[in-house]
Amino acid sequence: MLRARGLVKTYRAPAGPRIPVLDGVDVDVKAGELVVVAGASGSGKSTLLNLLGLLEDADAGLLNLLGLLEDADAGDVWFADEHVSALGRSARSGARGRFVGFVFQSFLLLPSLTALDNVVLAARYVGRSGPETRRRARELLEELGVAERREHYPPQLSGGEQQRVAFCRAVLNDPPLLLADEPTGNLDDANAHVIAGALRRRAAAGGAVVVVTHRPEAFVPATAVFRIENGRLEGYPLKKEVAP
Amino acid sequence: MLGPRLLRGYGFTVAGIAIGVAGLTALGGMSERIVRFIEGGDRFVLGQISVAGRGLGMGTGFTAGGLLPASAIRAIADVPGVAGVQPQVMLPLNPTTSQFMTLTQELVLGLDLSVPIPNRHYPTLPVRTGRFLSGGDRHVAVVGAAFASSRGLDVGARLTLEGETYEIVGVLDRTLTAPDRFVIVSIADARTQWVAKDPMLRTVLASGAVPVRAEDLNTGAAVGWRTGEDPDVVARRIAERVAGVNVQIPSELSRQLRASTVFFSALLTGIAALGLVIGGLSVANTIAAAVFERIRDFGVKRALGATDAQLGREVLTESLAVTLSGGVTGIVIAIALGRGIDLWISRGQQLFLFSARLLAGALIFAGLLGAVAALYATLRVVRLSPAEAIRRGA
Repeated sequence: MLRARGLVKTYRAPAGPRIPVLDGVDVDVKAGELVVVAGASGSGKSTLLNLLGLLEDADAGLLNLLGLLEDADAGDVWFADEHVSALGRSARSGARGRFVGFVFQSFLLLPSLTALDNVVLAARYVGRSGPETRRRARELLEELGVAERREHYPPQLSGGEQQRVAFCRAVLNDPPLLLADEPTGNLDDANAHVIAGALRRRAAAGGAVVVVTHRPEAFVPATAVFRIENGRLEGYPLKKEVAP
Repeated sequence: MLGPRLLRGYGFTVAGIAIGVAGLTALGGMSERIVRFIEGGDRFVLGQISVAGRGLGMGTGFTAGGLLPASAIRAIADVPGVAGVQPQVMLPLNPTTSQFMTLTQELVLGLDLSVPIPNRHYPTLPVRTGRFLSGGDRHVAVVGAAFASSRGLDVGARLTLEGETYEIVGVLDRTLTAPDRFVIVSIADARTQWVAKDPMLRTVLASGAVPVRAEDLNTGAAVGWRTGEDPDVVARRIAERVAGVNVQIPSELSRQLRASTVFFSALLTGIAALGLVIGGLSVANTIAAAVFERIRDFGVKRALGATDAQLGREVLTESLAVTLSGGVTGIVIAIALGRGIDLWISRGQQLFLFSARLLAGALIFAGLLGAVAALYATLRVVRLSPAEAIRRGA
């Protein structure tokens, strides 16, 4: 489902040389797998997730959503390095909308929209709208236990409620790949349990899920857990079926 | 339809744009007012040939000179090309140096109503309430809109001029030019006021040194020309054939009037430029700031799959809605402010003119500038990767 090879990313300090964050990272995730990437703050977890989700470009490396983007308008598309040029900005946006769902640590709901409209927003950019989409959004909110808050605005919701809404937004288009960046980082234990359970169910239903976190224990059992250190994934290839 | 949902979260932006557009519209309203005043005066002087007796005194309105006796008026009427001559008496209502020959001067205009008004552009003066003067009227007056407004006068009210009481029988529509401050009476009444106002004239008349009859007491005359005649040619013909008169050539008078208003033209150009700069900067800055403020939202939307084109359309739609809302609010504020100033501070004088072209121009200007600012800000924002946009907006 997702294959990345040799991902390299550096950032330029305000004054000084470029600082390497990822130094040749390889990742493979298949449908139905829940992969957890752990690491200390600043280790490059979020950067890795951004590269995998096409939220920013790698300096070098190859990335392919196997079997998915072959059906996309842009054809058999590779990401990063010289292959990234084959995918225009518009095609990259389209790929994000159709194939990738994001759950962020700080929820990133739009404050000017209600909870329901925040969920439905995910469908707007992939050409799906209308009553059927709204009905599906209400179902998801119901499943996550926040249906009664659907007409509330984000500032009127607790952190746990906002993350549940954000999860609904991430899965509304039923994307084959779900990327979660510290999804429980701002939540209490009860809400963290709800979100972790939702991610696990997503993988069990056939989705590919990648979670980066500094609390990997919240997401086990997982298909694999590995650690990112010194810009590389330690333990790759992954140990399968990691138990708590 | 600009729904409240679309504008949610844009309250301060709308307020910022409203202030900018209000400033632009208010300054534009003052500019429009001055333009209308100059245009009105120009239109008046081009509609008639103004003639006065030769001399230095009695400079009021568009005539300047001495007495224009009845014999001169008859001679003017006999000049080929002349269609009508209306004797007039034009006096300052308050003959103090502080008001004499100023743009806000209040004038008493006496008309000989046995002759139709010969001005081609003002054959009648529009009456808002009551009626205009008719032949044989005495001790009645028709007053201009600003004059009536500044004194709270209406039809039926009484006005005392040089110790005589006049009943107001009509109030003119606002013309935004000189007649707004006129008190129009019959020429007989105006002659009586002239004698009462002018001690030197009384002395001359009492001495009997000069044989002057009532019909000779005219400060000037409005002269019309026959259709097909060139008014400048007719005016020069009058000057050649009638002795002892000052004749204003319409086109020259128009040029002089425009030259004398060069200061005002420069002033209004400055006001308009200032309005455009202040209002424009306010609108552009507010819209651009509003877009940059939402940089995180744009990052999220791009993460959800929004393309540059989709994002651009959204921003333009929102900015247009916000700009138009702010624009309309600003226009309402400007009009309310202008009306308030006109009513309470300037005592009935109209300092602002909010014409349709001004309001439409302000709205279009704000909309265009808002769209350009939004486009610029959007282009800056979409250059960032979604991750960078989210980071910067955090």
